[in-house]
Amino acid sequence: MNFWRAATSAFSAMPLSIPKSTLILQAAIKYLEEELMPTLGGYHRFKTRVTANALNIVRRELEMRAAHAAAEHDRLVTLLGHDGEVEDLSRELALRIREGKIPLDHPGLREHLRRSLRDALEINNPKWLTR
Amino acid sequence: MSDNSFPSKLQAAVARHVGKPGAIHNLQQLTGGANRTTWSFDADIGERRERLILQLSPQVPSDEPNPLAEITPHPTAEESAWLMMAAAKVGVPAPRVRAILEDSDGLGPGYVTDRVDGETLAPKILREAAFAPARSKMTRQAGEILARIHSIPLAETPYLHRQTAAEMIEGQRKVIDYYDFHLPALEWGLKWAADNIPRDARLTVVHGDFRIGNMIVGENDGIRLVLDWEIGQISDPMQDLGWLCVKTWRFGGKLPVGGFGRREELFEAYEKAGGQPVDPAHVRFWEAFGSVKWATGCLRLGMRGIEEVGVERCAIGRRIEEPLWDFYELLEGRD
Repeated sequence: MNFWRAATSAFSAMPLSIPKSTLILQAAIKYLEEELMPTLGGYHRFKTRVTANALNIVRRELEMRAAHAAAEHDRLVTLLGHDGEVEDLSRELALRIREGKIPLDHPGLREHLRRSLRDALEINNPKWLTR
Repeated sequence: MSDNSFPSKLQAAVARHVGKPGAIHNLQQLTGGANRTTWSFDADIGERRERLILQLSPQVPSDEPNPLAEITPHPTAEESAWLMMAAAKVGVPAPRVRAILEDSDGLGPGYVTDRVDGETLAPKILREAAFAPARSKMTRQAGEILARIHSIPLAETPYLHRQTAAEMIEGQRKVIDYYDFHLPALEWGLKWAADNIPRDARLTVVHGDFRIGNMIVGENDGIRLVLDWEIGQISDPMQDLGWLCVKTWRFGGKLPVGGFGRREELFEAYEKAGGQPVDPAHVRFWEAFGSVKWATGCLRLGMRGIEEVGVERCAIGRRIEEPLWDFYELLEGRD
């Protein structure tokens, strides 16, 4: 089962739950960063920072991943010429690249890879894109 | 002391291999991991108190699942110590080995070296004003050190594993297959590497992880000591030069060599110190492939996020796109 479809359909099945999960995460991160961290030092301060960063990744993923996956799906259909689940299509593209069945300079391929990397970085570490 | 505690075993080992009486002071664990632990301590040797480091490896040399551990066999603790001794012999600032532990010491595999003070943290070395004199020397020193490492006679290191670029690429693919994580941007990078392997590669001893973090730096004298000889192997020497330029290992520094220097200066120092003539395109292959390799490294470390070090390892897994992004930037001439 496609995790992302499962996740998004789970959300749409309970539209009345408030606050949104992203807001709950935001509140948890705010507590860690603004209240807990200033009281800590050394190992636990470092570890709390890493934890807040990890929760921020989850927050951004909840916000953006569905739109990214839809766009990725459309690009993969164009590149491969058939439909499927985005994970399956992506895996197929990866294996075709390894086996040389799709050339490295195939039109639109590199643009697709860079777009996918950019989308993932917007979730995992947006700062990397603006260095 | 005659009990069976760790400090008394260490004292006995120091007394036996380094010198008597070997009384231990200020024993502190510096780093711990599944792969090895590092301890700092002082010991009474004759009339002097010596400053030492103990490095312990577990019996099982890797914390990875077996099929992956075989892809990059690490030298044993004893072999790492031999490699550091071979490096020191050709003038590399490698840790001075004082003792190689034996089974009868009861501490497991490991070795004792002299302890050297200095900084290992990238933000300090790259950004603090006090390290400006160091930064102005480190590029030349790096070139000289690498030229010397690459001059270690192969006959002296028969225990080192040999790995060509093609074998490394195959190793990366095995990691990907093992975790069944097929990322098109990563496969593209590996295919690019496979299609662009430099033809005229030599094979020498390489350090394999020569970068800030694995060296001790002094504010005024620059690189004092080269650490982490745990993945030393026989490979293309240009790998070490390229790896030092990989963007991840610039730690946010602006300059391409480790965040602190220019490539031209590195290559010139390398050649002057007896290294073979450097083809910048050859080094650039290793810089680009280095980013792809580090992406697989993020996968390897991230997949062990839960059982190993928890949230930090998880966060490393989510860094996989960073080196891949840098790889494509490099191919497009932006570095």
